[in-house]
Amino acid sequence: MSEQTRENQLRRKAVVLEYSTRRKQKEKKKKSKGLSARQRRELRLFDIKPEQQRYSLFLPLHELWKQYIRDLCGGLKPDTQPQMIQAKLLKADLHGALVSVTKSKCPSYVGVTGILLQETKHVFKILTKEDRLKVVPKLNCVFTVEIDGFISYIYGSKFRLRSSERSAKKFKAKGTVDL
Amino acid sequence: MAGPVKDREAFQRLSFLYQAAHCVLAQDPTNQALARFYCHTERTIAKRLVLRRDPSVKRTLCRGCSSLLIPGLTCTQRQRRCRGQRWTVQTCLTCQRSQRFLNDPDHLLWGDRPEAQLGSQAGERSQTTTAPAKCSSPRSSPPP
Repeated sequence: MSEQTRENQLRRKAVVLEYSTRRKQKEKKKKSKGLSARQRRELRLFDIKPEQQRYSLFLPLHELWKQYIRDLCGGLKPDTQPQMIQAKLLKADLHGALVSVTKSKCPSYVGVTGILLQETKHVFKILTKEDRLKVVPKLNCVFTVEIDGFISYIYGSKFRLRSSERSAKKFKAKGTVDL
Repeated sequence: MAGPVKDREAFQRLSFLYQAAHCVLAQDPTNQALARFYCHTERTIAKRLVLRRDPSVKRTLCRGCSSLLIPGLTCTQRQRRCRGQRWTVQTCLTCQRSQRFLNDPDHLLWGDRPEAQLGSQAGERSQTTTAPAKCSSPRSSPPP
């Protein structure tokens, strides 16, 4: 009789035999253009071992930067318009510049001077004369950049962008300029 | 193209970064990380501002990991024959990504053709004169 009951049950009800929703292959192989996580794993950033690289090795880079800025401003010492230089500095690249920290909310950062090696979104990496790599956050810091007798102050809090984005962005004077 | 000012500054910045990467590598051949960082910044700027680069410059940058490719140091260059033609294969040592170029003496890049030389006068101005490294120059006419 079990067969009869089985027949009855099967005829009236819909029985779900098995789930057949296969998950689609969402894992498309990404084009090797942007392997972001893997890229970082390969230590694209600095490693401390090249601290054997002395400060003197980066002096030619600094010379190159000076020439670049002179070329950008179009003159050695234009007595005119510091504003022009400021405007150009906003779009310019600061790698290789000699920066120093003048004001900062954290007093241990004040006075750090050296060549800028890397600029990331929040941080400057500076190599000091004693061959030490200092990582200085941009927030709440004022940096000084000097070129040919022109001293410019850079308020780090407004500069919290990756250096590549900075040349694409227009800056507005917003808020107070202070630490 | 009138050569707008912002573009010229951006191109100068790109060429400076390229030269800086070369300079860093010349000083210390073992540290490629910094050169790679500069080239990555360069690539991001060019992408953000949509700037065209000269193919001879593009070929020395790896597309995968954006390191500066110098044959013998950061990449290997081999001559291979494939399907009856001779190719030059460049392989980046860090990401193992290879690029193939056809060895055809008759093949002319668009930039070298005489029709494209119209914009070359605007391009001369934006080249910096500091180092003999090649810089990217703006091309005025797009390829057909």
